[in-house]
Amino acid sequence: MATTPPAKAVINALAKLRAKLFNNVYNPTNVRTGNKVLRQRLIGPTVTNWYPKQLIKVREITDMFPEFKLVNQQEKQRFEDIAKRKRRGKGAPKKGKGKRATISSKKK
Amino acid sequence: MNFRVLRNARVRRDIKTRETVAATELIRQAYRYITRNEQFPQKIRQQAQLMLNSFPRYARPTAIKNRCVETGRGRGIFRDSRLCRYQFRLKALNGDIPGVKKAVW
Repeated sequence: MATTPPAKAVINALAKLRAKLFNNVYNPTNVRTGNKVLRQRLIGPTVTNWYPKQLIKVREITDMFPEFKLVNQQEKQRFEDIAKRKRRGKGAPKKGKGKRATISSKKK
Repeated sequence: MNFRVLRNARVRRDIKTRETVAATELIRQAYRYITRNEQFPQKIRQQAQLMLNSFPRYARPTAIKNRCVETGRGRGIFRDSRLCRYQFRLKALNGDIPGVKKAVW
């Protein structure tokens, strides 16, 4: 006993009904709807947490209590080193007096 | 409290990338949805694509690079500990990473 396959319209109607029942999207022509993008989860919150945050800077503490006259030892050392280098004539050149700037001015 | 100083410019750039991505992500995804949706008219989809191109340089999530939290190294990073392999070894030997032990048999 040979059975004829169901008509295409019937199959489509069945698919439509099935999609409705199981809360799926009925998309017979396989059109790209871009729903893939909407399904993606936002990565922002996880991505910004990679590096541990610097909660308080030394500058903030020293600025908070100006009456104590707190000193950032690292920064103080840095300024002293710069002054020392300047005294020996090894300081940073002024703007326009550097190596690159003088080369370009000589060319002209 | 963590007083860790930023290791280098690459780490700083990566932090900037991450912040930009987080800030622009929602709108970017909306434009991406429009470009990928074939049901919209072609013109609108093209406009959305142009808008995607006009985002700042650091808005692309693929520009994010996982770097070593300790040294800023860009290769050989363990995701769990966020450390490069050498720092991982040092810390593990020091006993700073819980549950990690040198294999002996």
